[in-house]
Amino acid sequence: MKFTALLLCLLVSPAGAASLTVFAASSLTDAFTEVGRAFDARTGHRTTFQFAGSQVLRTQLEGGARADVFASANDAQFTPLLGRVVVGREVFARNRLTLIAPAGSAKVRTLRDLTAPGVRLVVAAPNVPVGDYTRRMFAAVERSGTYGADFAARARRNVVSEEGNVRQVALKVSLGEADAAVVYASDVTPALKRTVRVVPLPTRFNQTAAYPVGVVRGSANADAAQAFVAFVKSEAGQAILRRWGFLRP
Amino acid sequence: MALGGLFAAFLLLPTLVLLTRGLNADFLTTLRSPAVTDALRVSLWTTGVTVLLTVLTGTPLAYLLARRAFPGRALLDALLDLPVVLPPVVAGLGLLLTFGRGGLLGPGLELAGVQLAFSPAAVVLAQLFTAAPFYLRAAKAGFAAVDRDAEAAALTDGAGRWGAFRFVTWPLAFPFLLEGLVLTWARALGEFGATILFAGSLQGQTRTVTLAIYSALDSDLGPALVLSAVMVVVAFTVLLTVRVLAARRAPP
Repeated sequence: MKFTALLLCLLVSPAGAASLTVFAASSLTDAFTEVGRAFDARTGHRTTFQFAGSQVLRTQLEGGARADVFASANDAQFTPLLGRVVVGREVFARNRLTLIAPAGSAKVRTLRDLTAPGVRLVVAAPNVPVGDYTRRMFAAVERSGTYGADFAARARRNVVSEEGNVRQVALKVSLGEADAAVVYASDVTPALKRTVRVVPLPTRFNQTAAYPVGVVRGSANADAAQAFVAFVKSEAGQAILRRWGFLRP
Repeated sequence: MALGGLFAAFLLLPTLVLLTRGLNADFLTTLRSPAVTDALRVSLWTTGVTVLLTVLTGTPLAYLLARRAFPGRALLDALLDLPVVLPPVVAGLGLLLTFGRGGLLGPGLELAGVQLAFSPAAVVLAQLFTAAPFYLRAAKAGFAAVDRDAEAAALTDGAGRWGAFRFVTWPLAFPFLLEGLVLTWARALGEFGATILFAGSLQGQTRTVTLAIYSALDSDLGPALVLSAVMVVVAFTVLLTVRVLAARRAPP
């Protein structure tokens, strides 16, 4: 009897409630988890997330993965899907880069230290959005000539690992295994702040990351998916994103 | 019958698809691309070192476990098998928390000027940790299977203990050891979880074949397909070798 009741509860969800699957860039992990909770509380939908490097999510969507919403950390991994796999494109947040170093290490104090011999630098792979922004930032530093004409090459020589998403990059510094890394400002969450130190990155070298979101074509819950996108852009959704360090779109 | 055939097809199809997709017209061109050659080079030499270290350190340990009775031997035996069943990513975390800079031995290693994490040495350690137990198992079985009378005869005929080991025990256990070695090599070649966590992924340094397949999947499927086809061929060769070795050591 009890079992049947439980089964009924699982099978018959409230009228109009949908199960929503959202594919989102790793950097959105904390913010979107909270956005999802607020959205579900308001609408009665049940939202689940898959967080990974945007390039991984793109590959999965191209391979026919079932999802309702895709939120990417850059256009390079989003635009190729536009029309075929994703309908609509709206930028819902922006982000900035930041340098982090282990709290207990003084090896990297300034941007210049990234090229010091023996410094172990961890970045994201070039096809990961944050990896792409990182390389653009290195190029901007090099163009300015402030730290020498071969800054990018010298920094690249210190790279000991190219990770598949921004949270893996942050983890390596958090564990003290890397001397420095480039992540988004929003990745320096209260949890990460306990183990890392933020190294100033002059604004003139910084890169702006723009996050596009869209509904996946053929979504079984297109209305609910559209409602999620609208919620992310609403004042309530934006307030959560702001709290986790994202900038206005 | 039909069900059995269906299951066999299920087990065979994915590898056949990998072979046909991988061995395409671009196979040779892709095989010569830096992403692929770097991965093969890193994999070949790290697994080579792993196999060498496994023989040098695993053989005496296996001999000890097979021949000497000491308190706690059964427990030690089970514990040494642990890496075989441990999820590789758990193994990687263990290695990082032990040998990493912030790990248990980190400060000591740092003083000695040794940095293991994110180096080719870390790749070898990850492989050694997850793969060497396969050799230990096989070698233990090998030493246990050797006829003790043959050794005793060699000893009474005037052979030293080393001589008896070198000319009697080793040759008799050899098919077992070789089989364990082949399995260890194959496991080391396929190692992924521990490597990506402990050694990271950098082309030409720590990016082995499996890591290269994984990172290629994010962008260009070409290298991933070619390396996958290579892995299918290698895996099949390994299995065939193990079969032949097992047949050779089977009692007549």
